[in-house]
Amino acid sequence: MKYPAKILVLIPCYNEEANIVAAVERLRTACPDVDYLVINDCSTDHSVELLKQYRYPYLDLPVNLGIGGGIQCGYVYARANGYDITVQMDGDGQHDPAYLDAIVEPVLRGELDMCIGSRFIKKEGFQTSFMRRVGIHFLSGMILLLSGNHVRDVTSGFRATNARMTAYFAEHYASDYPEPEAILAASLAGFRVGETPVVMQERQGGVSSINAVKSVYYMVKVSLSLIIDRLSIKRIRRR
Amino acid sequence: MTAKFQAFMILGALVLLLIIFVLLKRGKMTVKYSLLWLGLSLALTVFAVCPYVVFVLRDILGVEMPVNLVFMLMFCFVLLVLLSLSIALCQLAEKSKRLTQANAILEKRVRELEEKLSPPD
Repeated sequence: MKYPAKILVLIPCYNEEANIVAAVERLRTACPDVDYLVINDCSTDHSVELLKQYRYPYLDLPVNLGIGGGIQCGYVYARANGYDITVQMDGDGQHDPAYLDAIVEPVLRGELDMCIGSRFIKKEGFQTSFMRRVGIHFLSGMILLLSGNHVRDVTSGFRATNARMTAYFAEHYASDYPEPEAILAASLAGFRVGETPVVMQERQGGVSSINAVKSVYYMVKVSLSLIIDRLSIKRIRRR
Repeated sequence: MTAKFQAFMILGALVLLLIIFVLLKRGKMTVKYSLLWLGLSLALTVFAVCPYVVFVLRDILGVEMPVNLVFMLMFCFVLLVLLSLSIALCQLAEKSKRLTQANAILEKRVRELEEKLSPPD
């Protein structure tokens, strides 16, 4: 599809030497008209050599910032370079670029400020483990309670934002596990956040950044951050 | 309180005060972060020079032993210092995050400019 807008796809990359080339190539074949930018978050494997070798455009963070700080760097870059729409897409092959149109569409039409690709609307494809789904539903309920906005797949890292939303994230973005917090913060700040069905795949290789021990810490940290955000972000109602 | 103990107290408080001044003078600590410590060493000096202050404070707060009051105050002070350090740490983390991001974006620009100047064959 030919887009009437300048689109940048951000691909966070931390130790993804097994997947990154396949993910970028898939994107380039599926959407040859969009710009993309790999954000190498100080990988300790050979990711950066691959990025150099294939001559992909990339940002190289000199110290590891974690997914939040890395993606925020991409939003800062997108804002500075005047992109109309910024898309975030994982570099591990979970997100299929064929659905890029689907998540960009509502933002392009001006219906949403941020559109999230959700695997729980049509319940197709990889649905992740039972325990994770419980956690995601819990956080989704919490965000519904705190903001009145119902988003099902709150941990999905497949999302499109318009220029105003991008500028907001360039200034305010959570650092550790930012996806649910970003939804709540954006909703409270008066941005329109919604989701659209996509099909996700199981990651192709490498290891996910969240393991069993970390997941307890994850739930506690994210729940607490959501409550703090609710208390600290001034609620703005936009029409 | 024996005169000997009082002498040691005064000496200790003065040494702390001196250490902080030396650190300030050598630029190892900025005035902003030294204020808490200066406050502590001044309070300690006052306590040591005229212990009467401690007794008055004890009566106001209703603590049995004057020494417990001193311990409690010290503990509160340590908590205060730890808290201020946590705040300073978070501010530093935020600043270093911003610097890292700016650095990465600059590095990309420089890399692309260099490639434009001398294109690889």
